[in-house]
Amino acid sequence: MRSLTKSLSKVFISNWLRLTLSAVSLTVFLTLWWLFSAYLRADWPFQGVTPSPSTADYIPYWWDVLRAVGRSFVTRPQNTGGLLMSEHILASLKRISIAFVLALLSAVPLGLLMGRSRNAEALGRPLVELFRPIPPLAWVPIFLVIFKFFWGPIAIVFLGIFFPILLNVILGARSVDPVLIDAARTLGARRGTIFGKVVFPFTTPYLMTGITVGLGIGWMCIVAAEMLGAVGGGVGYYIFAANNTSQYELMYAGMVVIGMLSVLTTGIAGLIERWLYRWMGKK
Amino acid sequence: MDGKEVVINITHLSKVFIRDRRRIIALDDFGLEVREGEFVCLLGPSGCGKTTVLRIVAGLEAKSGGSAKVEGKEVRDAGPDRGMVFQEFALFPWRTVRKNIEFGLEVKHVPETDRADVSKKLIEFVGLKGFEDAHPRELSGGMKQRVAIARALANDPKVLLMDEPFGSLDAQTRNLMQKELLRIWSARRKTVLFVTHSVEEAVYLADRIVVMTARPGKVREIIDVPLSRPRDRTSREFITIRSKVLGELEEEFEKARAGELSPE
Ligand SMILES: Nc1ncnc2c1ncn2[C@@H]1O[C@H](COP(=O)(O)OP(=O)(O)OP(=O)(O)O)[C@@H](O)[C@H]1O
Ligand SMILES: [Mg+2]
Repeated sequence: MRSLTKSLSKVFISNWLRLTLSAVSLTVFLTLWWLFSAYLRADWPFQGVTPSPSTADYIPYWWDVLRAVGRSFVTRPQNTGGLLMSEHILASLKRISIAFVLALLSAVPLGLLMGRSRNAEALGRPLVELFRPIPPLAWVPIFLVIFKFFWGPIAIVFLGIFFPILLNVILGARSVDPVLIDAARTLGARRGTIFGKVVFPFTTPYLMTGITVGLGIGWMCIVAAEMLGAVGGGVGYYIFAANNTSQYELMYAGMVVIGMLSVLTTGIAGLIERWLYRWMGKK
Repeated sequence: MDGKEVVINITHLSKVFIRDRRRIIALDDFGLEVREGEFVCLLGPSGCGKTTVLRIVAGLEAKSGGSAKVEGKEVRDAGPDRGMVFQEFALFPWRTVRKNIEFGLEVKHVPETDRADVSKKLIEFVGLKGFEDAHPRELSGGMKQRVAIARALANDPKVLLMDEPFGSLDAQTRNLMQKELLRIWSARRKTVLFVTHSVEEAVYLADRIVVMTARPGKVREIIDVPLSRPRDRTSREFITIRSKVLGELEEEFEKARAGELSPE
């Protein structure tokens, strides 16, 4: 996770064993998928069995899904908002980015405070424990009414990202080695400086865990968030609409795209982490 | 003792900790004067309050009574005029050697080029050339403690407080670091208050050795070490002083053990 490019190059260039292993697991998965689709259609090698066409609709061949992914970038299908996949991706990315930035800006200071001050913790803990277990999905109807169609989906994704970051930052801030704070004090640092130069850097690895988990949950929330028709589309909206109109290849295409986007944002999180570490070494 | 200014002046110092609703009297009527440029070692049984004295002088711990003055001013808070070196090194693991050393200067908003000048000189001074950009995890214990000493020196503090800084080092490294510390001390003319468990270390380093009583800690005896440096650990004078300190200390160890056995 530390650096996606580095780990990618490790997996794909220098380490043939791991490359083979990754290829094996992917191949096994695609083979099973293919066998299942063929079985439902009584295609080769299952010519003898009774086909089940109603279920087969839901399980297209994977190459048809890949083709649908490609197609979704160039044709505007019916009933999915008439938008290209790239436009859906942009809409979702925008939503995730706004929610992510808001979650980061609120969860990091709150987490640092709650991790370092017993009073702040006593203030915040009951609310956190009350709201944390509620699935973001449960908020969809309320949020769409309160926040409307632009901010509503963002608010739902925000909740998904916010709590993992908050909880990890609290944990990190709480585990700062006290001797480091003592050392900083004898070097002339006061409260604010200690927060910036000791507590925050110490918490960064925890923060990165929170970001990675939070972004994953954020992508999970996006289908729910965009379900009721988000302005300007979105990959979640696309999946939902494709499902509603029984265009299952397109639905899977949307799912594949979400998976890839999640990998992308995790990679970006890795870059942020490296950048942060470099910055902390310097500043 | 030649009419030099008193830098650390501790009188009637007491400290009471409260743990699980029980009062632990760590220090009771502890008094000590340390003069400019002096090297004083604190020695005493475990738990007698050595660290507590140091932390109060550093401003990391509030006292319960009495007075602790540094350069005539009552200690209220930690500050860069009193550098501290911890047994656990306490280096910032995410910072390189150079950036660890520059921490105090950053806090003071010293411009980057001046910071670099200071850290460059200090890195050479403590023998870490070539390791400027290493992180603490890449360093041996002795090297880590060199960084910690350089970091404390970067603020050019009047007083250096050291809490068993070489306690976790192996014997060889420890001896080497003692020599190095004396070199640094005489070159920089620091006033040093040094806590140790090792009688030999105290006799090797100190101008004066303060033997503390078992808890509650106060001064049992102050022993002068009038030997010229570098000291020979095998010389008769060295061994005589060592035996004397050891004798004092052993009685306190006995008391500490008796105290542990009897219910409080
Ligand atoms: N924060 C604290 N809370 C409660 N009691 C404490 C605290 N710090 C120290 N004490 C107690 O005060 C006494 C003196 O502690 P101190 O650490 O100063 O001893 P020390 O001489 O440095 O011991 P050692 O040689 O083991 O390092 C001990 O009995 C210790 O248990
Ligand atoms: Mg101690």
